Amino acid sequence: MARILIIDDSAVIRELLQEYLTDNGHTVELATDGQIGIDKALEKDYDIIFCDIHMPRKNGYQVFSEVNTSKPGVNFIVTDSLPDHLAEMAQRDGAYTCLIKPFNLNEVKNTISAILNREKQHE
Amino acid sequence: MSPLDRMKGLQLRTKFVIPISLLLILCVTLITGYLIKQQADGYRRELETSGETMIHIIALNAESGVLFESKYELDQLLATSIGFDAVTYAAIYNNEGKLLSEVGDWDESTLRIKKAMETADFGQTKELDYYIENEEGEEFFELNYPVVHRKEKISRENLGISAGLNNFTTSEYITEDIGTVRLVLSLHSVNLAINEAQNTAILLTLLLLIIMIVVLNMVVRFITKPVNLLVDITDQVSRGDLTQRVAIDQQDEIGHLANTFNKMIESLQQSRNEIEEYNHTLEEKIIERSIALEDAQSQLIQSEKMSAIGQLAAGVAHELNNPLGGILGYAQFALEKMNRSVEENGPDKEMVKYIRYLIDIETQARRCKNIVQNLLRFSRASHTTEMEPTDVNIVIQDTCTFIEHQLHMNQITLKLDLVENLPLLQANASQLQQVFTNLIINAMHASPPNSQILITSQFSPEVGEFAGAVELQFIDQGCGIPDELKNKIFEPFFTTKEVGKGTGLGLSVSYGIIKEHGGEVRIESTVGEGTTFIIIFPVQKAIAETDKTTKRLSTP
Repeated sequence: MARILIIDDSAVIRELLQEYLTDNGHTVELATDGQIGIDKALEKDYDIIFCDIHMPRKNGYQVFSEVNTSKPGVNFIVTDSLPDHLAEMAQRDGAYTCLIKPFNLNEVKNTISAILNREKQHE
Repeated sequence: MSPLDRMKGLQLRTKFVIPISLLLILCVTLITGYLIKQQADGYRRELETSGETMIHIIALNAESGVLFESKYELDQLLATSIGFDAVTYAAIYNNEGKLLSEVGDWDESTLRIKKAMETADFGQTKELDYYIENEEGEEFFELNYPVVHRKEKISRENLGISAGLNNFTTSEYITEDIGTVRLVLSLHSVNLAINEAQNTAILLTLLLLIIMIVVLNMVVRFITKPVNLLVDITDQVSRGDLTQRVAIDQQDEIGHLANTFNKMIESLQQSRNEIEEYNHTLEEKIIERSIALEDAQSQLIQSEKMSAIGQLAAGVAHELNNPLGGILGYAQFALEKMNRSVEENGPDKEMVKYIRYLIDIETQARRCKNIVQNLLRFSRASHTTEMEPTDVNIVIQDTCTFIEHQLHMNQITLKLDLVENLPLLQANASQLQQVFTNLIINAMHASPPNSQILITSQFSPEVGEFAGAVELQFIDQGCGIPDELKNKIFEPFFTTKEVGKGTGLGLSVSYGIIKEHGGEVRIESTVGEGTTFIIIFPVQKAIAETDKTTKRLSTP
């Protein structure tokens, strides 16, 4: 199973993802804004990082850029109300995908499975 | 008011006629008066001359009669004189004043002297002649003349040689007054003649004056007639009737004035026509500009409003997304859990009911999700749309294929009138298809059975920096849109459909998409007759010049 970091300023989304992913057997940690997210991502290693685009202090693209610079190859799933230019830039620079809010839990599950499958194939 | 002022108020003709007539009368009167005076003087002088001649003759012939105091001789003498008409009375006195002879009636007491005059040429003594008048006003002329006795002066020499008369070298006479002749002449016939002459002169003068004044009047009338005509026309022109012309065919100053005046009216009329035309054009321009201004203003207001609504919608949508994500996610999570529990423990009546509730929550949350997505799309806060050269005709045809069945079910016929070889638009085909679908579905809902929906496309060439514009029209024969709703129908959540049948976002999303493509949308509608949606997309030059190959949309 995977180690997952969830960076989102919305408490309900954080908690929902935490409960759902934990229930699915993943290890989940939370960050309430971009800066905290960066700190955590640099401090520990995660298989997958869920990151909202619109957040205070540091936006999702900044988080992705900083983390990706120090630790290239981290699987980023950015989330956004509608894919705007920040989300597009993140995807262009190597983020795995963009989930549009409000997303279905099935989408989340399938995306994570896809990432893990890919990792397995790489190994 | 002074006479001069009074004069100013008179007509031109009167102004001419009165002073000239007065001057004429004055001159003619003076001349006639002078002539009559001359004539009268002539008559009197003639009388005086003949009287003097007569009295002279009487005095010469009376010498012996007076000398011998022969009444008979003197009576004879006077009787010859009285034969003249004018002679009223004649008398002869001796030196002592004794009356020797007289003829005619004479009453000395009733007379008075009018004028005394000297007639001195007929002798040494001077007798006065008088003009006199009696009490009845009759005029007379009295002459007095001395009767002279002439004696030869007797000298010695003369006496001595009396036999030889031819030796006389000189003879001397002594004259002596021996009496007086008095002659009174009546001026009656002279005065009659004078009066007659006077009357004739006055009559002639009057006649002359009348003729002169009549002629003057005619001449002045001849001059003032065109002037009056000119005044009449000027009056009419001043009251605004510029069609009048002065009809005077003369070569003089008046004719020249009339011509100049006509030319002036013509140029005045021309100027007025120009001004009227200019005013008219100006009015039309003002109306045209006002309408354009109103249009621009209402479009501006409309786009401001839409943009404000867009911003609001975007804000609301962003805020709604997270709670909505929570609701949707938890519902799905709970559903998953409960489904698993039912799978493991078998169906439980209560559990099945809750599952149904959760499905409802999930469905409604999905619906909310769609609404929010549409709102964001309307506000153009969405992702950058992928644009590529697109043939709008093909998009329309594809949309129709996809929607034809629905139209058929509603007994509505669809007709396409598309212009071939439209320039390609830089556009997103699926978004355009969304707009066209929305417009056709709306038209279908508004149309009665057995009516028609017509879709046209056409190309308007070059406008400014654009290579031209593609214009699409969606024409239905439906119920129409009232004027007051025309601006509202693009607003989010505005709908005329029954609650639950439409979200009121279709047209606002279409509006957002059209704007995103740089296009304009306009409605022409008459209630009860139908509605036309007109969409205009600018064609960019670069695209217009590229090859017109475009991918064909797959029919969904």
